[in-house]
Amino acid sequence: MHLVPNLLAALNFSTLPEQLVNGLLLGAIYALIALGYTMVYGVLRLINFAHGEVYMLGAYVALFASYHLGFGPNSTATSSSLANLLIMLFASMSICALIGVIIERFAYRPMRGQSRIASLITAIGVSLLLQYGGALFLPNSPPPSISENVNPYRGSFVVPLSSPPPSLAIAVKQLGPEAETKNKALQDYLASHPNESEFSLSPAAQPLKDQAQDAQRKLDDAKRELANSGVNITIRNGDVIIFFTSMVLMIVLTYLVRYTKRGRAMRAVSHDFDSAALMGINVNSIITFTFVLGSALAGAGAMMQATFKGTTITTFFGLLPGVKAFVAAVLGGIGNIPGAVLGGLLMGLAETIMVWMGYSRYADAIAFVILILVLLLRPGGLLGSDKVEKV
Amino acid sequence: MFWPKRIGSGIAAIAVCFLIDSITHHSFGSYEQRIIALVGIYVTLAVSLNLINGITGQFSIGHAAFYQVGAYLAGFISRRYITDAGHTPPPVLWLIGMILVAAAGASIAGFIVGLPSLRLKGDYLAIVTLGFGEIIRILVQNTDALGGSYALDKIPKIQEIWLIWLLAFICIAVCRNLLKTARGLTFLAVREDEIASSAMGVNVTRVKVTAFVLGSAFAGAAGALLAHYEGLITPATFTMDVSFIILTMVVLGGTGSITGSVVSAIFLSYLPEYLRTLKGGDGQPLVVSGTAVVAALIVTVLAVAAIKTVLNRHLFTPQKRGLIYVGIIIGAAMLEPLFSLLLHPVPMLANMQVAAAQLRMVIFAVTLIVLMLLRPQGVFAHHEFSWDWVKKILGKGPVPSTEVSA
Amino acid sequence: MIISSNKSTFKLAAAAAVLFAMIGCDTGKAPDNKPDTTTPASTSPTAPAASTASRKSSTGEGNKYTSGKILIGLVASENGDLRPWGVDCEAGAKLAVAEFNKAGGVGGKEVELRIEDSASKPEQGKSAAEKLIGDGVLAVIGEVASGITAQMGQSCFEKGIPDVAVGATKTTLTDIGNTQFRVCYTDAFQGPVMANFAFKELGLKNVALMTDKKQPYSTGLSESFKATFEKLGGKIVDEQFYETGQTDFKAQLTNLKAKSPDGIFASGYFPEVGPMARQVKEAGLTVKMLGGDGWDSSEILNTGGEAIIGQFFCNHYNNHEDRPAVKTFLDKWKAAYPNNPVPATTMGALGYDATSVVLDALKRSKSLDSKALRDAIEDTDNFAGVSGAITLKGNGGNPPKRAIVVKLTKGGQVFAKAYEPNEVVK
Repeated sequence: MHLVPNLLAALNFSTLPEQLVNGLLLGAIYALIALGYTMVYGVLRLINFAHGEVYMLGAYVALFASYHLGFGPNSTATSSSLANLLIMLFASMSICALIGVIIERFAYRPMRGQSRIASLITAIGVSLLLQYGGALFLPNSPPPSISENVNPYRGSFVVPLSSPPPSLAIAVKQLGPEAETKNKALQDYLASHPNESEFSLSPAAQPLKDQAQDAQRKLDDAKRELANSGVNITIRNGDVIIFFTSMVLMIVLTYLVRYTKRGRAMRAVSHDFDSAALMGINVNSIITFTFVLGSALAGAGAMMQATFKGTTITTFFGLLPGVKAFVAAVLGGIGNIPGAVLGGLLMGLAETIMVWMGYSRYADAIAFVILILVLLLRPGGLLGSDKVEKV
Repeated sequence: MFWPKRIGSGIAAIAVCFLIDSITHHSFGSYEQRIIALVGIYVTLAVSLNLINGITGQFSIGHAAFYQVGAYLAGFISRRYITDAGHTPPPVLWLIGMILVAAAGASIAGFIVGLPSLRLKGDYLAIVTLGFGEIIRILVQNTDALGGSYALDKIPKIQEIWLIWLLAFICIAVCRNLLKTARGLTFLAVREDEIASSAMGVNVTRVKVTAFVLGSAFAGAAGALLAHYEGLITPATFTMDVSFIILTMVVLGGTGSITGSVVSAIFLSYLPEYLRTLKGGDGQPLVVSGTAVVAALIVTVLAVAAIKTVLNRHLFTPQKRGLIYVGIIIGAAMLEPLFSLLLHPVPMLANMQVAAAQLRMVIFAVTLIVLMLLRPQGVFAHHEFSWDWVKKILGKGPVPSTEVSA
Repeated sequence: MIISSNKSTFKLAAAAAVLFAMIGCDTGKAPDNKPDTTTPASTSPTAPAASTASRKSSTGEGNKYTSGKILIGLVASENGDLRPWGVDCEAGAKLAVAEFNKAGGVGGKEVELRIEDSASKPEQGKSAAEKLIGDGVLAVIGEVASGITAQMGQSCFEKGIPDVAVGATKTTLTDIGNTQFRVCYTDAFQGPVMANFAFKELGLKNVALMTDKKQPYSTGLSESFKATFEKLGGKIVDEQFYETGQTDFKAQLTNLKAKSPDGIFASGYFPEVGPMARQVKEAGLTVKMLGGDGWDSSEILNTGGEAIIGQFFCNHYNNHEDRPAVKTFLDKWKAAYPNNPVPATTMGALGYDATSVVLDALKRSKSLDSKALRDAIEDTDNFAGVSGAITLKGNGGNPPKRAIVVKLTKGGQVFAKAYEPNEVVK
């Protein structure tokens, strides 16, 4: 009954532009992981459940690389450079590629020619093995995270869409000095009374604190009013880096798949496995190549995720992103490379818009609801073909 | 001639259930009783998923959702009616009623999920079922009346192990008998070739939806039993990995084989508890060194490679092969300490102490991979247990190990 | 298999089953069937437990000591999400038992700690507890989380085995019955402590909540914080939800920013709160952040980076506290675990305390069985734990404990203010 007014009341259109940008930036990571799922599926018709775990290992590689670069748990290094980030990225991508190849060689290749569901169970087995086996050897308790100092590009920037009235900025300026003096008075008092602290003041000094807090609150309120009065978009530097790196990697990938001989061979294998083999394509090497590409992209995604968002790393790091990326791949049409990118971006947008509408409780469910609706209308995914699949 | 046999077997099934129940209550503690109850529930879940996945060939990986629908539906009604309102219906009758309600509720859910399967194939269907499971879980988690993320608690406990096993038997009987009817064969036809079967006049739509409705009804009924056995259910009990484990039971036993589903459901649901019993010499939890773990992994890889080579090249006669497998396994067991010794200089591994409890899921995963590599069609493949088969074994002496082992 | 072919047989079998059930429930199975021993007095799930209300008595027999070592059980999360707390809790418990045995045990008998893994899952935790009970333990210790403890506690109650929870703060948990105890404070205390601190000490007026909807701990804590904060006169401007394992909070934070909060109460666990703090700063929010004991880990400083410095949370005790009990405990820990010289979370100390409470009760217990042990635990009066004095006597399983608010600085947690059980407006 009161759903509709609630729904409308919760909508804040001044944050919509920022949320749309958030959604796109969030979707870039999903897209990057989804590519790995979709490429392996395209070639082998196998849902590579272990892909999320390759992603998880990529985060660990980045973590260890950051330790080696001098950003360990107890280090005091504070200045970093682009070179460090590139080393971590390269380490993650190359080692993930290697891990992907090993998994393919020892777990999936022996299963080729068996029923698809058996391969799928093997993939689930590999995934469990890496999650729980990894927990024995990798640091996960307490879960570590990459030091923020390794990232020289911290912070964010603001893109103003409409500027606030100038009177607000003046108000902030006027309130600044008062807050400063009141706070200084409190600090002076504390400095001269060593056995009192901010939270155990004698009653006589309490007004000092109250005044300082009041002045500070007025200043902060003015600042917030200033920040919220115009429409603007706050974008984190890290997100921009993630987005552009992802785009570059996806363009490289598209080039590799479309315009190189190997890429053509890959498409041929994806189109018809047996005929491709008959035409003299070395199917094994193409599959290895596919795993190299997909896993390297996962590694890149993991490194950027762990570095720029500060995510804590456990051996279950890949579980949630893995599932979401898988959904993205299916949404776009599994096996279809542009589809994975589109699916990833849509997933990011859908989740963010759900949060914007005030339903952050259900943000994760909405991805699946949209997926089901899309699949009902287009059974092959957005860009996939919906021809009848012959098993 | 025919009727007495049917009635007889019906009564026999019930008698067996009561036998299980009374043996359980007389000889075991509540820990073992609960394991036996949970194993029964998992048998129902695996066999009912087998109907959807194995027999009809519809790739569903969200079975826990139907299980959850049943459990929460029955749990909620029971809590409201008995705990909150204070009514005291006869427990067993009430439980049977709740099983039926849960089955009905879950089958409606199954119908809703089954409908898209008219249009979706293979992996697309899989992701829809997975998504449905997540949607249900998130909805329950955010509904305060259902206990939210904490738990739906204070469900009256009605612990009837015989009912749990009776449901398992009914589920097995339904699946088995279905396959003996003409309609049941249409399920297999849909699995083998959808286009061909629809050309032969099979109503593919109806078969698929029936499979979903039937399979999810049993899962829902199992959920009702769980809710009343435990008295408290949490969303954490019905996560995605539970669906994966049920799916694993189906595939490990042999897709389409009811016997396989039953055996692997028993095996896999007991395995984690068995691994709990591994103790060191002094009764303390078993602790192994990192080197031993790595050595065991290496040796497993080698042994699997060796067995696989023998298997693929069809070397030797079947009888001799059995002996060779045993030889390989014994050899591998002897190699393990050797590798352990070789790895000893690695300080990271030598210093590492791993509690056996931490190895539980690792062993589970390795078992899964090894079995799939060596016997991808599942332990029982598409075979079913039958008395003829037993007679064959008894009559002809030991069967070649390729048939039963692996 | 057993039932012969043709599907009509199935109908028959089902009918027969129902028939048998009707007969069966009247006749055969009276003794070993216990339908519904646990229908509890209906308390609404949100009502706080009345601390002195008499609780249901367990009718279970409990275990008795027979011979050899005295068995005490511990359920710990050795695998899964809760592993960081599980391993600390286990180490703390082992330390207490080793110390107890070294001091001669009770009546010349040593105590053996049996440990089972719950894998951070409620139903596995229940299996673990039942396994321990089957092994003959006199008491069970654990778990660190309320969801698992609720399942375990139920089994313990039915069997008459006392269960001392380590870090389960869910308020209604001890309603299970008179076998359920804990050594930590409840969310009904922790939330108000932070609300008081935020409103009175930090002068915050408009606070937003960030809640991990997957964790009952987090939803419960947010609720109790909200109730007190509003009662004090503050305003909760918004509540946003995320889920354990989520990595990006930008969308939620963008929403919050538009509501101009001056504080964020993040009631989840540190693996999400750390990155969230970094992202709060990057999203351009100038706010104080506050949280509960789920923040407690040495790792949060690294995970949260600069943004977490200067933020406050509620804790059971603090490694830097200037109390002799804490110092002795840390020395013992260091001697026992040279590879891991400082407990990473408070569960180290709480695991130690929970075990010590049980062992202390064992010494006072009239006989070596669960019933007497339960009575002795219930009688615990002013036990000097590492995390503060623990009094279970007359408190319905919930010891009134002090809580401290700590400030995160570059060097670690710094004591800010202590709250005694009776000085908080709820």
